[in-house]
Amino acid sequence: MRYVHAILIGVAIPLILTATFLAVPSAITGNNMATKAFDNSKDLEQETSANTLPVAEAASSKIHRITLSAEQLSNGLLAYKMVSYTVGVGKGKPADITSKYPSEATIPGPTIVMSEGDRAFLTIKNNLGSGIVSVHVHGVHYNIISDGTLMHINDIKDEGATTKKDYQYHWIAGPGTAGTWPYHDHTFAGINGAENRGLFGTVIVNPASGTVKANNDGVVTTVPLSGITKNIVLYLGDDAFWGTEIKSDGTQRALWTNPHLIAADNELVRFHLIALGTDMHEFTMDDYEIVDPVTSTLVSTKPIGPLENLQFTLRADVVFAGGDDNYRDLQASNALMGVQGIFEVSPSGGDSISSGIPDAF
Amino acid sequence: MKKSNLILSAVVVGTMLLSAMVLAAPPLSLSGIRLPQIFNSAYAATVTYDFVTETLPNGQPAYRLDGSPTATIPGPTLIVEEGDVVTINGVDDDFSVMDQTDTDGSPSIYTFTASTPGTYVYKDESSALIGLFGAVIVNAASGDAGSYVDGKSGSVTAVDLNELDKEFVMFMVGSTFWGSEINGGSESPLWTNPTISAVQGDLVRFHILSVGPGHTFHLHAHRWVDPGTTNIIDTKLMDEEQVGEDSHVFIVAAGDQVGSGHWQYHCHVFAHMEAGMHGIFNVVETGPAISEAGASPYNIHPVLADILGVDPPSGPGLVTFEITDEPGSWFKNTLDISGVTLTKSLALANPGDSVNFVMSQTGTVHTITSLLWPTGAEHMPMDEVQSYKGGGIVPLTEPGLYVFTCKIHPYMFGGVIVDDPDTQIDPTPLGEGVLSLLGTEVSSGGSMLLDLGETISLVNGATIPTGSDLALRLTKTFFVATTPSNWRDYNEESWNPSYPAVSVKANVVGIGDVAVINLDTLLNVYFSEGSENELVNPSDAYGITGVGEVWVDTQFEETEGKNKPGTATAVDTTTWEVSKKVALPGYNMNNPHNMWTDRDQTVIYQTEWFSNKLSTFDRETGEPISQIVVGEAPSHVMTRVNNDKIHVALNGEEGVVEIEATTAPSQSDIDQIIPMQGYGQNPTHPHAHWMSSTGDKMVTPNSFTHDSTLYDFNTGIINKQPTGVLAIATGMTPDDNYYVVANLLSSTISVMDMNTGDKVRDLELLADYNPIPLDGITGSVASDVDGDGNIIVAALPIQTPISPDGKYMVTANTLTGNILITDVSDPDPDNWFFVKTLPCEAGCHGVQFGAKAGGGYLAYVSGKFANDLIVIDIDDSSPSNLEIVGKVLLTSDSGMTTDTPTPKEVTGNDGMGGQGVLPVPVAYNGWVQNIPQSVLDDNSWELSCEQRNPISPESCIP
Repeated sequence: MRYVHAILIGVAIPLILTATFLAVPSAITGNNMATKAFDNSKDLEQETSANTLPVAEAASSKIHRITLSAEQLSNGLLAYKMVSYTVGVGKGKPADITSKYPSEATIPGPTIVMSEGDRAFLTIKNNLGSGIVSVHVHGVHYNIISDGTLMHINDIKDEGATTKKDYQYHWIAGPGTAGTWPYHDHTFAGINGAENRGLFGTVIVNPASGTVKANNDGVVTTVPLSGITKNIVLYLGDDAFWGTEIKSDGTQRALWTNPHLIAADNELVRFHLIALGTDMHEFTMDDYEIVDPVTSTLVSTKPIGPLENLQFTLRADVVFAGGDDNYRDLQASNALMGVQGIFEVSPSGGDSISSGIPDAF
Repeated sequence: MKKSNLILSAVVVGTMLLSAMVLAAPPLSLSGIRLPQIFNSAYAATVTYDFVTETLPNGQPAYRLDGSPTATIPGPTLIVEEGDVVTINGVDDDFSVMDQTDTDGSPSIYTFTASTPGTYVYKDESSALIGLFGAVIVNAASGDAGSYVDGKSGSVTAVDLNELDKEFVMFMVGSTFWGSEINGGSESPLWTNPTISAVQGDLVRFHILSVGPGHTFHLHAHRWVDPGTTNIIDTKLMDEEQVGEDSHVFIVAAGDQVGSGHWQYHCHVFAHMEAGMHGIFNVVETGPAISEAGASPYNIHPVLADILGVDPPSGPGLVTFEITDEPGSWFKNTLDISGVTLTKSLALANPGDSVNFVMSQTGTVHTITSLLWPTGAEHMPMDEVQSYKGGGIVPLTEPGLYVFTCKIHPYMFGGVIVDDPDTQIDPTPLGEGVLSLLGTEVSSGGSMLLDLGETISLVNGATIPTGSDLALRLTKTFFVATTPSNWRDYNEESWNPSYPAVSVKANVVGIGDVAVINLDTLLNVYFSEGSENELVNPSDAYGITGVGEVWVDTQFEETEGKNKPGTATAVDTTTWEVSKKVALPGYNMNNPHNMWTDRDQTVIYQTEWFSNKLSTFDRETGEPISQIVVGEAPSHVMTRVNNDKIHVALNGEEGVVEIEATTAPSQSDIDQIIPMQGYGQNPTHPHAHWMSSTGDKMVTPNSFTHDSTLYDFNTGIINKQPTGVLAIATGMTPDDNYYVVANLLSSTISVMDMNTGDKVRDLELLADYNPIPLDGITGSVASDVDGDGNIIVAALPIQTPISPDGKYMVTANTLTGNILITDVSDPDPDNWFFVKTLPCEAGCHGVQFGAKAGGGYLAYVSGKFANDLIVIDIDDSSPSNLEIVGKVLLTSDSGMTTDTPTPKEVTGNDGMGGQGVLPVPVAYNGWVQNIPQSVLDDNSWELSCEQRNPISPESCIP
């Protein structure tokens, strides 16, 4: 709690200093400190109030304080676990939302939901017993000491947690960062990290507009985020889908592999698909077309390669009682290996079904 | 953003000359850039470029513009304007420009109209992956350069060409970035995985281009607009196809909202990350921003530079290997120094050079894995968790010997000697006795000694001195495997392998550094080669014939009519003559590895290990029946006894593919791929599986995860237990109680319980071996260390089946070139014991048991680097039991295959490459009972009652 006050002061100063962010000159060459988003002091580990924040900070911007740990699962895979999560706005008391997350480590790891303009301080703890584990994020703004890489790459220091010392990252979901972005380890057992062993998760940055495009019964329509009652995060790995369900109250549930998804008839469901690993994929849903973010038109299949992301929203209006799989990877070998699952739509809907943590044998 | 005054980025001395010339006199012919830029012009220009193709010092081909002194990879970037008519002279028939139609009829000229702004790949299709590629940038007539995401406002903001501070052209080829910088009107090559640089706030346009198998480009801490859209991304998929190409152009404000730093750029395909596909985008707070070129094909070892008459190196150099399907030359140095090295798979490099690999001439996936390296060397060992299409690149800083292999095809070898030309070599003088044994002299200085270093680390965890029995054995294996002229040809009178006549320095325990004047002399003396080639006809010599025929995959044999190697050769076991030889030219069958047959013994199912296909042909006539895509690097094939379904192990993937029971497999007969590991676990890449005698169970040796999976077709995976390094082959007791796993690089055979999948014991093939002393110098390499009364040493075991009656296991060992026979008759594996070893060929590989005429069995053993088949008597009642009774030639007298409809001429490696073996009729318990009596009668195959009931001989007592 002790640094909350420092942050509040830090928030207050730039708000007082700036009129609108549009008036600030955009040149960021040279040493114009006032417009820099980060202090690139190499020795900095903790954020201090001397740091400038990006000048575009609306009054409703939230501060996310998150602690994750890296754990080993019973099947030998590695995974992130939510330890604590508070979200606060302005001077108000931050809300503790830790209980919205599973209490165990999960694959995918915890999904962090931000809005454009928010900031996050994320601390990683190493419960793997050895080595350096990190969190490297895509999409949002962060400076070089929050890169989550080894010194061998960033030329400054090893930016991860050892078993004796945690590491903290500072992210800003600045303007233009709306999207669904992966985060993953980039240091454990080498410079490439251990994303392939399960250390990955998601940051959803909701757009400032508060709207997204949806497949509304075959017509591309703009819908408000507030109308979306279910979010599904699906990672497309080399041998399975890995899923998380986020309910309308923000509760997150691990669905594990090739999950049986459930939605209510006419519910708006937002999918966040990220590919990860070595294989290339082609994603399709038998009963729905996908709004292609590139063209804003409907497509039936979408190629996707490792760490690309695809966000799409649809109205679940094809009632399907289940039985056969109806979402799948069309890549030849993955199709033969059964990388697919069920998307069931029923009158009442309900919670998607977890497959449970997979066996190692 | 206004352009700041930047010093041209040209830090590599070798490129400064080019830059200076461009700055001083920018006529069109020295640069691909059309100057001046005229925007909003109504007039399109006709632009002509004269290309010249050159060979760079390291052997890679590259383009330059006529008049420019330096050929580059990528080739010169052509910058033209929308509407220009562009002509490129000096190219050949295979040349093309992405999305642009050639309107010139002549094969050496390519003319197109650049009607659409964008960046396009040009390439010569046949050499695209090794250097003949570059970019055409077509700038919009309006002057629009694209858009970037303004990090302050979040809005997508248009950028004009004259606002760009600099541009980078970055090609993704294999698993290597090849780049150049365009700045101030000139282009500087940055070569491989360069450190590119810009000043914070610079508007930088990236042209990301790819040739060949796909990638996903990612840059840390930046995000950009997918061109033509408002979609904001930070990772972009580049086309997947083997000969595809793709292009992605974007603009960023360097360090926008994130600041300065070493920001990594890389391909996000995980295997490519592991293979080295990354570099740094160095954003600096204030100028100048100087990019640093990476390893260049212009910088080669000074000794080679001297020989080739090129400039000595001025920076880190690049040695490049193509990965091919060509027997011996699976790693092929783009610089052919085989005049000295004999092999095409060896390279010489300077400390600090990089070794680069590109899978340019191969039909399947591979890994680039370190087999051995100088102990403690940086970046070693190199390896990938999953096989892939692409390549690899890694800097080699420590002097010494590096050998790379593939975990799927572990006799593919590529070697690099990193030799520091400045090191003074002062070896310890050797004593007289030692000199006479080695047949060499100590160098008194003057001649160049290649320094192999002090100790090498092996991928199985061992560390050995470079002057040791094991190191010499590995060296010999390298030079035999990669040099077809060293293979044993039984059509010749004797076998005389030759090794490079080079001088090397190695380290011997108890002596120190030793200089060897002539490696050829040393290896020939030490391994006592030059043996007579003697064939043995089992019928003539022992009165022994088999039942039916035995097929051998002569995987390296080259024939007319196709450009990939491999035939399946059948030997009639009554005459011991080659009766059939099937190349399947119509299917371009690629490296046939292993076979099985259907219930009625009418067809041969043939895997193509350097491809992704299963071919099927008529056993009697050799007529092709079908070829289907099954998955990457299919290695072994076997049917299930209870339903005849066909199971092919996918050595380049994660499991075993199951195909419907049919004698003419079609694509739609493929049911599923059965994974051999749990979700998310490291991919197993199984090699030589085995099926149980009832068809209920299957076992796989998992080459990449060093364990074995026991699978039950009714209930799923029962167990998956660690066995040893690079588990490669399995065998089974005919009563389905135990199975065995050969661990290639541990030289152990794990015995596993088939009910639980737990390991019972390991048979240690090297228990009696001391890898370190050179024989005769400090002691014997083999002694009865385990006290079992035998001195038995066998190394690198491969196929290891158990005889159909359950009495003997016969194992082929490829490093020691010998066959190990183990008595496995006791129901308790703790009582299994080694009986003896027999000499085998170099590359000893495949083993199967077939029925012997009159009763008993014959073990047939193949060798990769010879063209004979070894026959062993397996018959307790026979006087020649457990002896070699045959060495049968696998070449045809006619010099032709027996393909249908048209036989093809055998053009090379006659009879060589023996790997998979299949005696027909199949004699194993479970399968032999299924053969209809009518099939046996029609073929005149007489099986004894015991041979029809291999584990219940009591049912034959009248």
